[in-house]
Amino acid sequence: MAVELKTIEHLCELSKLDYDEDGMKKVMGEMGAIIELMDEIKEFDLTYDDTKDGNKIAFKDTREDVAEESFSTEKLLSNTESADGCYVVPKVVE
Amino acid sequence: MSAYFPTMGLEIHAELLTKSKVFCTCSAEFGGTPNSRCCPVCSGLPGTLPVLNQRAVEYIIRAGYVMNCDISRFTKWDRKNYFYPDLPKAYQISQMPRPVCLAGTVNINVNGEDKVIRINRIHLEEDAGKLVHDEVNRISLADYNRCGIPLIEIVTEPDFHSADEVIAFVEKIKLLLQYAGICDCKMEQGSIRCDVNISIAPKGSTELGTRTELKNLNSLKAIARAIEVEIERQEELLENGERVIQQTRRFNEQLGETTAMRSKEDAHDYRYFPDPDIPPIIFTEEELEEIRKSIPELPEQRVKRYVEEFGLKKADADIIVGNKAICDFFDEALAEYNNPKAVANFILGELMNRINRGEADMEALKFSGKEFAQLVELMQTDKISQANGKAILREMIENGGTAKDIADKGDLWIKEDNDLLAKVVDEIIANNPKPVEQYKNGDQKVFGFFMGQANKALKGAASPKAIQEYIRKKLDG
Amino acid sequence: MDIKRAKIRDLRKSLDNKEISAAELCDEYFKRIEEVDPRLLSYITVTKDKAMKDAENAQKLIDAGKATALTGIPLAIKDNICIDGVKTTCASRMLENFIPPYNATVIEKLNAEGYVLLGRTSMDEFAMGGSNQTSAFAKTKNPYDLERVPGGSSGGSAAAVSASLAPAALGSDTGGSIRQPSSFCGVTGIKPTYGRVSRYGLVAFASSLDQIGPICNDARDCAIMLNAICGHDRHDATSANIDTPDFTEKIGQPINGLKIALPKEFFSDAVDHTVKACVLDAAKELEKLGATLVECSMPGLKYAIPAYYLIACAEAASNLSRFDGIKYGFRGEGRTFEELIRDSRSRGFGEEVKRRILLGNYALSSGYYDAYYKKALALKQEIIKEYNEIFELADVILTPTAPTPAYKIGAQDNDPVKMYQADICTVTVNIAQLPGISTTCGYTADNGLPIGMSIIGKRFDEQTILQVADAWEYGFVPLSPEL
Repeated sequence: MAVELKTIEHLCELSKLDYDEDGMKKVMGEMGAIIELMDEIKEFDLTYDDTKDGNKIAFKDTREDVAEESFSTEKLLSNTESADGCYVVPKVVE
Repeated sequence: MSAYFPTMGLEIHAELLTKSKVFCTCSAEFGGTPNSRCCPVCSGLPGTLPVLNQRAVEYIIRAGYVMNCDISRFTKWDRKNYFYPDLPKAYQISQMPRPVCLAGTVNINVNGEDKVIRINRIHLEEDAGKLVHDEVNRISLADYNRCGIPLIEIVTEPDFHSADEVIAFVEKIKLLLQYAGICDCKMEQGSIRCDVNISIAPKGSTELGTRTELKNLNSLKAIARAIEVEIERQEELLENGERVIQQTRRFNEQLGETTAMRSKEDAHDYRYFPDPDIPPIIFTEEELEEIRKSIPELPEQRVKRYVEEFGLKKADADIIVGNKAICDFFDEALAEYNNPKAVANFILGELMNRINRGEADMEALKFSGKEFAQLVELMQTDKISQANGKAILREMIENGGTAKDIADKGDLWIKEDNDLLAKVVDEIIANNPKPVEQYKNGDQKVFGFFMGQANKALKGAASPKAIQEYIRKKLDG
Repeated sequence: MDIKRAKIRDLRKSLDNKEISAAELCDEYFKRIEEVDPRLLSYITVTKDKAMKDAENAQKLIDAGKATALTGIPLAIKDNICIDGVKTTCASRMLENFIPPYNATVIEKLNAEGYVLLGRTSMDEFAMGGSNQTSAFAKTKNPYDLERVPGGSSGGSAAAVSASLAPAALGSDTGGSIRQPSSFCGVTGIKPTYGRVSRYGLVAFASSLDQIGPICNDARDCAIMLNAICGHDRHDATSANIDTPDFTEKIGQPINGLKIALPKEFFSDAVDHTVKACVLDAAKELEKLGATLVECSMPGLKYAIPAYYLIACAEAASNLSRFDGIKYGFRGEGRTFEELIRDSRSRGFGEEVKRRILLGNYALSSGYYDAYYKKALALKQEIIKEYNEIFELADVILTPTAPTPAYKIGAQDNDPVKMYQADICTVTVNIAQLPGISTTCGYTADNGLPIGMSIIGKRFDEQTILQVADAWEYGFVPLSPEL
């Protein structure tokens, strides 16, 4: 199945990923085949009921509201650029 | 007269007063040095997982009850995916198809008229961090202290048709959340924030126009002004034959205009899906009942109690209850000196007077309700004159201290000096034969003249009661 | 001492009897790593300095008579489990220099036992793959044939144990990532029930499917490892708040009377003939040991691959969004946030990871959500139902672990669809959150490659699958790779 360029471009936008021209061609082909495989699920005829999912927990089993000591700022920032105890972000354009 | 009428709906975000954040154990307090109230979880480190705070859930259920909502017996959390540097996980944990609260109502009163505003839903989510923009270096600095502070989002139906209604509603919500004990509602600190969806349609039309969303409104004044400005803008567009475009707009308070926030068309595909890290929750009827019972007394009940039990005037009770800080102060004062009317009168008369003049700030008083009550009691029991009581209050506002200390220092006590009383009153009677004559002829009103003269001359040396008795004895006797 | 295929419990004895010190033991492994790993490429990072310190501390405990099951035992840890102060790369350029400032819960638990860290094992990038060939740093090879893949994504852990470069290792399993490489490398690996082991500190691939588990030389060692790492964790709301049994308890018990189901769909033509025959022979052996074989069916298996990939990739797309170059990880270039994030992600992630992110966002995006993601959740409910029905007839289920033995490196490189389809035997176990163990059931006649079979149990019944695997292993002679 062929996937439209427009669709892949949209997915790249949602994913914040860029491809060069060749990469785009390649990934379009691959995504087409993958989506074709995924499409098999469409023939499966049942609907999802979220209330029937397992792993529900009782309200009383949630975490008690107790504040504990926070983490060292220095340690949190140890894997990146920082200034004044903050993460450094290039200017956000709105 | 405009040919259009506006329709508005609100989204109100309120931060909950929990001790810890909603999905980790960091403190949920406002402020702090940057990234000092953070941990691997709220900073979005790889491998970390959210664990839901019970009290945050309890509080949103309280909010649901005070807004007469249906509380879901089954609720779950979803991820709202979008990239922004104030959102470390690149998704916000929120609720989409199964919010905790659905379908409620809130009564408001606008210019004397009652109106019911319908609540569509209330859901629980986490707050994002803060960005400080450094224009010089063209960078932004990200502080995640606010990340993970629990928020409730209250979504109304489009039931508003004027800015007055919106303001009345926001004020009501603030009061309800404050009295329910779940949010301090400090707009200036952003603990309660309001977005307004707004559209206009020709009068008589049954269809709604295209709406815009006004964001970042951080005061009641800004809300009112932004609504006014946006309605005008939309009217102008329609009048010129143009269309209103559905978009998010920011209100610039200085310029008094709304401007479109730049957003890509894809930005709104949030790809919500159930958060696999947080199990859905089920509530028992007993748990919900227990939460319902834990809700503190709400404003309407409190006004009723003040009127019925304390005999306050409805208008006075409304003023006291209408400001949670004053109301708490009032209650604290009553715990010290249980004379509701006297305390209320001195608050509404003298204290409010000072506050309205800008001499005092209810949020930052230098004395407690208890100390205020001691002053009222001293006045009520004729230990201090009314005039000196007011002077003492002014001193307390300025420098703090107790009434007793201030009275000691300034020698402001009533001394019950009977000799002086007799001397002064005798003199007044001797010097005013005409009023004495009038009194004796049955003119009771003139008695006030003697009281006034005596009070003035005695300067608190005798209690009003003693003065009154002595004058009566002299004039009647 | 000979560390070839040495069992944890034997090492325990040697350490406790002072036949060898903890430092000497881990030195033995480092010697072998130095000798073998340049060809095998099972480790991304070897942590010799830390190991020596760990061993010293462990020795103190041993000398004080305070040793527990894993005190002084050297272990390899998959490179997606966070260890405070130790580089954790997820085999991705994105995390090439990432040093976590905190420990995963399983690491805290192993620390409490006094384990010794040998190093970080390679894997498919972000655990996405079944060959270890998507690793950005160490494309691990199969110890039985260096031209073949070790399986994945925990291929480094399985290869290391198989080649005796560690007596045991931790892996993670999202769709077969512990069991399939265990099968390819001829070792035993267990994926515990979802919720049995805390995921806190495991860099998430698909949160509703991920589970940490051990890869060892046999089922009994798996039980020993599981005892150390399982249990409720207040940092993981999906970890089960239930009592944990002693997983070695049923080891050694006879299996007569146990009912073993063989769902026919797992023995279809999609499975290599040799593999099928080998697993069915093993089933007959188990029958001889007193078990009853039960025929059954799982119609939902037909849709398992799309259901699995839709759920896993949707969650992955969201889980991997946090890698933006700002807080940690590869930081690209850009004058604006938008430019920086796009550059960081485009250059930091490998091709397979990117494809899965794209697929996940496809499944979740507006207009497609109901047709794909929600449908996959419906299928998940159906598969759980079908498993429940089978477990009314049987105690455990027996299936091949993978449709083929280890294949040649490069065989699936340009065919993601083929690669995805190869997961057919393992993914439903994750979807249904069940425990599954893979153990070697034979070797191919022509080239001596290991063939694995999987035993699947009821939720939280790891004990029975360990019992069955152990019963099988008791009469089975494993062949070590010659390296």
